[in-house]
Amino acid sequence: MKGRWAWKPSQWEMMLAILTVAAGAWSAQLSPYYLNLDQIADSTRQFIFPGLLALGLMVVVVLGEIDISLASTLAVGTVLFSKFSECHVQVWIALPIVIGICGLLGALNGLLVAGLRLPSLAVTLGTMGAYRGLAFIIGSERGYTDFDDSYLWVGSERVLGDILPISFILFAIASLAVGFVMHYTVFGRRCFAVGRNNDAAWFSGIKVRTIKIRAYTLAGALAAFAALVWVGQYGSARGDNADGAILFVVTAVVLGGVDINGGKGTVLGVVLALFLLGTIRNGMGLANIAGPIQTVVLGGLLTVGVLLPALSASTSHFLHLLLPRRSTPK
Amino acid sequence: MSLLAEKNTPTVAVQRRGFSEFALRLRVSGVLAFLFLVGLIFSLLTPQFFTVQNATAIASNAAILSIVAAAQAIVLLTRNVDVSVGSMMGFTAYLTADYASRHPNVGAELVLLALVIGLGLGMINGLLVAYGRVSSLIATLATMSLYRGFTYMYAHGQEVTSNKLPKWMLHSVDLRVWGIPALVIVCIFVVVLVAIFLRHYPIGRRIYAVGSNPLATVFYGLRIQRVVLLAYGLSGLLCGFAGLLYAARVGTVTVILASGWEMSSLAAAVIGGVSVTGGSGTVIGAALGALVLATIDNGLVLLGIPEFWRMFIQGSSIVAAAAVDVFIGARIRKSLQGQRFGRRAA
Repeated sequence: MKGRWAWKPSQWEMMLAILTVAAGAWSAQLSPYYLNLDQIADSTRQFIFPGLLALGLMVVVVLGEIDISLASTLAVGTVLFSKFSECHVQVWIALPIVIGICGLLGALNGLLVAGLRLPSLAVTLGTMGAYRGLAFIIGSERGYTDFDDSYLWVGSERVLGDILPISFILFAIASLAVGFVMHYTVFGRRCFAVGRNNDAAWFSGIKVRTIKIRAYTLAGALAAFAALVWVGQYGSARGDNADGAILFVVTAVVLGGVDINGGKGTVLGVVLALFLLGTIRNGMGLANIAGPIQTVVLGGLLTVGVLLPALSASTSHFLHLLLPRRSTPK
Repeated sequence: MSLLAEKNTPTVAVQRRGFSEFALRLRVSGVLAFLFLVGLIFSLLTPQFFTVQNATAIASNAAILSIVAAAQAIVLLTRNVDVSVGSMMGFTAYLTADYASRHPNVGAELVLLALVIGLGLGMINGLLVAYGRVSSLIATLATMSLYRGFTYMYAHGQEVTSNKLPKWMLHSVDLRVWGIPALVIVCIFVVVLVAIFLRHYPIGRRIYAVGSNPLATVFYGLRIQRVVLLAYGLSGLLCGFAGLLYAARVGTVTVILASGWEMSSLAAAVIGGVSVTGGSGTVIGAALGALVLATIDNGLVLLGIPEFWRMFIQGSSIVAAAAVDVFIGARIRKSLQGQRFGRRAA
């Protein structure tokens, strides 16, 4: 039993953790306001909603697929919450309904990808536009800001001496749950198997189609939680919510060491990458670095993150060339 | 008995091959039929739609997108994707417009500048994807934000207004030859040129080969990486040119110019029958796909339907086009298998 639960963080995860601490130290250098428990707790809020999306995306990416429609699913979620709030529906009734609808939107992606065997990039690119349009169709172009306080609770309140944001607890629970599902259940292991080798998984009797549809549904349902957090944080809902946030989400997943071709990756890595990106963003914000430059840094980080494996491979390739006695690599 | 079989098989094979060729043609004829259908619906719904004036308006709107769709198609053919097209256009447009505003007497070398900048940006994408072995979506997603961010940094919140641009640049896009906008003629010329290049030149055929079966291409002895690099370079080149045209068309060049075009260009290419899984489709189809999108846009505006329905329709049509594409692909595979079995029976 002990062996099963014992885990060792990989090199990549160690590096992410060290970089996060380094980024924190750098931020503390940049701004005297950084090292403040209140500030740090508050800064975690910035990456909660992309974090929830990233957890969902991670499951999909492990399967070797992609879902870039998640930010649009979130927008559908926020607009739906605004409609429920308008009709004075309690949040406890609204939440399961919104989770259901967002899950259905995810399931539709899954059905198109796994059922009809369409390329996931094309499908989710299409549904990215379609769901975004749907959010506008439901909510019209007008933003909604008169949310009932019960809707704002999750995204805006804090507990434990007014420090820990509830949204952070939600994120922690969600990441533990996804981590458990991915690393300690049959479903999770099958996800990795499918991502490693789709055909081999199918031949060994795994229901690839069902697993893919489930993964997309899970991602959609998590987007509903992200929508609730969004509503609480910004107090508004409009069709263009989280437009362009998918870049941050994909960056987090890729930087977290999840192989974009599927079959590899850990939830811990994704969470650490989110912390790293959140810390860097927070530090840049405190240092008054303009938004566009932050985007450049984000894009640069993504590039470096994905280039690292290739760079290490090409160095070893180069070393092989220098040592003629070894057999030439492919 | 064997004589009979020999007699029979060729006809079977011809029939089968006939179908697969027909299906391949279907991709272009499908988009034409779709275009016809959309046009018919709109002309029935509103009398303003079916006029010469409106047709030229649609063609001018589709013109620049058709070049970008062709650029996207080239990359899609190699089994990759380029979501940085909009940022490449914006970057090129801003830099060339800024250069033109500082050198009022600049001539046609401006076009060369745009092409060089576009080529450079495309090559960076190509290097990342081909030699860095980065997944194309991730690599171009990163450069999408990088190029856009660089444009912001270069611009310092400024914009280039139309009175700073040279007059010839603004007038050239409004020119008309026999009543047809020069912009449309230029774009048709470029698209046809790219189509001929892909159809009749060995390098063009290699782009198709890499997308159809990368492994077979390696065994055949082609250097995939170079072909992918070339495809991205060509895509960047076309985007640079399109960026310049767009800058001249809108007059005022801002840093957000052409953002969101990655989506429209992909939509146009997929609707035009370019397979996202590579190796099949034509740039002519992609350009026609751009025309379909422009027609839908135009019709929705004439009907007074809110703008956000466009996103919904555009997105849904991508999914539908992808579904049709996979269906056709499956039929082709089946008919090719039939061919093989036909030979074996003989």
